[in-house]
Amino acid sequence: MKERLAIIDGLRTPFGKIGGALSGLTADDLAARVVREVLVRTDFPAERIDELIVGNVAQPIEAANVSRVIALKAGLPVTMIASTVHRNCASGMEAITTAANRIAAGEGEVYLAVGTESMSNIPLIYGPKMTRLFGALLKAKTFGQKLGTWMAFRPDYLTPIIGVQVGLTDPICGLNMGQTAEILARDFHVTRSEQDAFALASHLKAAQAQAAGRFTDEIVPLPLAPRYELMATSDEGPRPNQDMAALAKLKPYFDKVTGTVTVGNACPLTDGAAGMLVMSESKAKALGLTPLGYLRDYAYAALEGKRMGLGPVHATEKLMRKSGLTLADFQLIEINEAFAAQVLACERAFASADYAKTHFGRDQALGTIDPAILNVNGGAIAIGHPVGATGARLVITLLKEMRRRGLKLGLASLCVGGGQGAALALETA
Amino acid sequence: MADTIITPQDPADIGSGVIRRNHKPALSLSIDEEHVARVVFDLPDEKVNKFAAAVVGELNELIDLLIKRTDVRILVFSSAKKDVFIAGADIKEITNITIAADALAKARAGQQAFQRWSELPFPTLAVIDGACLGGGLEFAMACTYRLVTDAEKTSLGLPEVSLGIIPGWGGTQRLPRLVGPIQALEMILLSKQVNGPKALKIGLADACVARAFLDVELPALTTRIVTRDHLETLTAGRKPEGTSRIFEKNPFGRMFTWKKARSNLWKKARGMPAPFKALEVVRQTYGGALEAGLTREAEGFAEVAPTPECKCLIDCFFASEALRKADRAPAADGAKPMDVTQVAVLGAGVMGGGIAWLFADKGIPVRVKDIGWDAVAKAFHTAADYNNQLVKIRKLKPQEVGLRMARITGAIDYKGFQHSDLVVEAVVENLEIKKKVLAEVEAQVSETCLIVSNTSSLSITEMATALKHPERFVGMHFFNPVNRMPLIEVISGPQTSPQAVQAVAALARRLGKTAVVVKDCPGFLVNRILLPYMVEAAWMLQEGGDVLAIDAAIRSFGMPMGPFTLTDAVGIDVGTKVANVLAQGYGERMQVAPVLDVIAHDFKLLGAKAKKGFYIEDAKGRKSLNGDITLAVKKVRDQRRIAPRDIQADEILDRCLLIMVNEAARCLEEGIVAKAAFLDLAMVMGTGFPPQKGGPLHYADQLGLKTVIERLTRLHLRFGARFKPAALLVAKSQRGERFFPPNQPIT
Repeated sequence: MKERLAIIDGLRTPFGKIGGALSGLTADDLAARVVREVLVRTDFPAERIDELIVGNVAQPIEAANVSRVIALKAGLPVTMIASTVHRNCASGMEAITTAANRIAAGEGEVYLAVGTESMSNIPLIYGPKMTRLFGALLKAKTFGQKLGTWMAFRPDYLTPIIGVQVGLTDPICGLNMGQTAEILARDFHVTRSEQDAFALASHLKAAQAQAAGRFTDEIVPLPLAPRYELMATSDEGPRPNQDMAALAKLKPYFDKVTGTVTVGNACPLTDGAAGMLVMSESKAKALGLTPLGYLRDYAYAALEGKRMGLGPVHATEKLMRKSGLTLADFQLIEINEAFAAQVLACERAFASADYAKTHFGRDQALGTIDPAILNVNGGAIAIGHPVGATGARLVITLLKEMRRRGLKLGLASLCVGGGQGAALALETA
Repeated sequence: MADTIITPQDPADIGSGVIRRNHKPALSLSIDEEHVARVVFDLPDEKVNKFAAAVVGELNELIDLLIKRTDVRILVFSSAKKDVFIAGADIKEITNITIAADALAKARAGQQAFQRWSELPFPTLAVIDGACLGGGLEFAMACTYRLVTDAEKTSLGLPEVSLGIIPGWGGTQRLPRLVGPIQALEMILLSKQVNGPKALKIGLADACVARAFLDVELPALTTRIVTRDHLETLTAGRKPEGTSRIFEKNPFGRMFTWKKARSNLWKKARGMPAPFKALEVVRQTYGGALEAGLTREAEGFAEVAPTPECKCLIDCFFASEALRKADRAPAADGAKPMDVTQVAVLGAGVMGGGIAWLFADKGIPVRVKDIGWDAVAKAFHTAADYNNQLVKIRKLKPQEVGLRMARITGAIDYKGFQHSDLVVEAVVENLEIKKKVLAEVEAQVSETCLIVSNTSSLSITEMATALKHPERFVGMHFFNPVNRMPLIEVISGPQTSPQAVQAVAALARRLGKTAVVVKDCPGFLVNRILLPYMVEAAWMLQEGGDVLAIDAAIRSFGMPMGPFTLTDAVGIDVGTKVANVLAQGYGERMQVAPVLDVIAHDFKLLGAKAKKGFYIEDAKGRKSLNGDITLAVKKVRDQRRIAPRDIQADEILDRCLLIMVNEAARCLEEGIVAKAAFLDLAMVMGTGFPPQKGGPLHYADQLGLKTVIERLTRLHLRFGARFKPAALLVAKSQRGERFFPPNQPIT
């Protein structure tokens, strides 16, 4: 990157479980609250923002280009341009890096980069047979034609396609995300109990962070539609009382016979949004602002879809080549916890000379990750993974923790359904 | 007039044939070479077109001229005013009607002119692009065809009953003929207005076009009418369809329609003579001959127009117009009133939440601060509740709720306050807390930010001492519930700047409310007059009066609810607290009836919010008398050795109403409010004082000030200082004056 991207400040909503407290709010409701509050906390005039860029995976059918809907719901000027970006689970990061690219290209100076997802509101859809029937009905003119068309109807036409389920299935390799995690568990010999132990740690770390109030300054409390009787002030997911015995009781979800991945050691489906105000480093300096941190460099990399969970390894390797940084340079690391098996597989791939040789033609392993600096405040297994929002949350959570610890360089990375990875090098000064 | 017409025979003037008159005409006629006549209504020196008596005269002259013109193929009638077709008759002329004969003559004159118009030897077309109300719609219905536009301002209706009269120029006859009785009654009895597309749907209009395409659609329609091209499809929509047809086409259905309308009126317009009269006229004449119908209509009009109810309603109308103008008066220094684009509210209780809802509803982002998130949640809940009420009555689409809710943000600190143009303080009614909060918030906002307090009774003057810049501090008293109550009291303290008062009044209007500017005094205007009335009811209760009887007597006067039901609704704790504030401020005459304190403090009854006050509400929402009240009353009577006695309706009315009249006179005397008319309007809008009675001062006028003094003096002797006649009442009565002299319109 030519110039660092200054991240002035960022906030997020509490994350809520699918069908839970936040389910009455749409993806645009969630993001609009974040955007309004980011502007209040940064005290930055909305008129001086060049564009709102929003990462979102399951784009709501009632809000095409959800970004523009968010802009207006958040009270941004009616002249605010707005675009929606999509890189599956990295969409929240894509919003940030797109802003960086626009700035580098001289298109603008100040951007709002947001990620949002309401997995509760992903619709069920009619299958192709019913869809074709509706199409034929539209063409049918006379009563006879209509009746004839209806004669073709069979009750099984009504079986819905569950949007969120197909969305989490790779249409090329045909595997559900959980099934790709099972492959990694076998490839890297990540046992069930290792996965459960990792999940337990995630819950305990997140619960501790929550209890210590470490998330308070990154969370915008949300009034809970549709009844608006309560405010959500913290994440719904973390379970301070989680234990190994409870995790061990769960049955494998994706491979019922020989599997190891359960709903306990995978991230839950989640609602939430996160966003930040970004600008070029020079602009921030000129305005006399003290940014939360900077994006120093980033990389996206791709690999086969059925091993998409290793995306962070590939993306980080590319980032290292691009920036000259080494894994040891990163003082704090976030690898998104899509699945415990997947994060543990990443750790092992990072440390494997063999993997480095085979995939990157390197003589040495990329490096080992000290578990003590990885996902220190827990991860998606506890907090949740609203797919479009997580990328933005990782950046905010990581930068705020780096500041608390007085650290300079951090890595935020995640795996991307379909076979990609993202890695962002972040700095506090 | 006929001699000035330029005939088409004169080649030089073909195409411009214009009628000219010596004085400025309201109606101008031109006839082009295609034999299309055009009449344009442009009332000189007015923003809107009105059917004043002079215009009706002009119309008759025009008809005299046109009736001979057999060459005219069609006449197109339109308005030159933006957004207004014809706003109605001239209401000022109605106020001058004092006897039935005048009213009859007035109705007849309009009816006859419109009837002649409808009998012109060629088709006429009304082009309605804007407000078309009352006499305007009655005229439009006398045209052969009506074209309406889809413009937002295009609105058709017969709002006469809201002024205490009934449509008197054919409205009760022609409207049911066009749209059927069910739809017609809704428009006539409930003053319901319809927009362009709805007018087409119900058959009131024959065509609805986009305002933007009026230039092409109007000639197309005139050509169609002239060439008689499928005219039957043009007017096909005039017949009512579907279920309404079933009700209208047979005697049983019709009987049901009348019955339904009547029971509806009992619910919505009790005590208002006009809607009942309008229903009577429609019921008696529907299905009969037009001539007979018009005669009955004119009689009906003459029966209501001279009544005091009608005068009071018209006074209310003029008072609200006058208030609107008062707010709009330009500032002394020519400065533009500040534009409020961002608001903060302190306190997330029912009032704070309601106020937040109101701003969000009007598109203004609002930040609500309270001390904790649980408290903040209450504001969102209130706002959501008000939105859901709108969704239920279909005034709001469900998908619009999210956008409105998104304009409300919550906070537990002062972040985001620095850009607010206005801060509304709505914290608990405690002077010390309010002063602390006000001082705190002033440190957080910009120099230009207006600070207002939504106190219902605490001293604005005293609160202002907490501020460094008291000139920007104003009282802005919203009434509960904010979504329903149309009034805001704007209270000016001794140091408040006139600009700040004007800005707050203008804002109140932008919020769709009526703003009455008052001076600071305990209770301000409305509560100062209303509380003694509520307390008087309590005095009567402890003397032996009956809760049900007192409430019933007051309801029969026309108040929407009796004093005890009102106290329950306000909250017995809140009401007693305010009553005590007034007692402190005004001394003996506002002394609180001991029974109220016993009920509030010893029995801890709260009122409707706890479903337990003077009345108990069960799970199904049914109300019955609370037995605890009897105990409380007994306790007070025992303590004070009061021997209970029966209190009759006359005494109830006199004591409840005259105590208000007396305090109202004092307020006027002290200059708390600028005009008697504003005071009465505030009482109508802020307390539900029956508009057909005009307000306490109108009521005093009707009784006669001499009678008022006599009765007050008697009450004074019996019950003490609180009934001592106000000096202004005495003076006015001695001079033989009234608060509202006849033939002196409210301005």
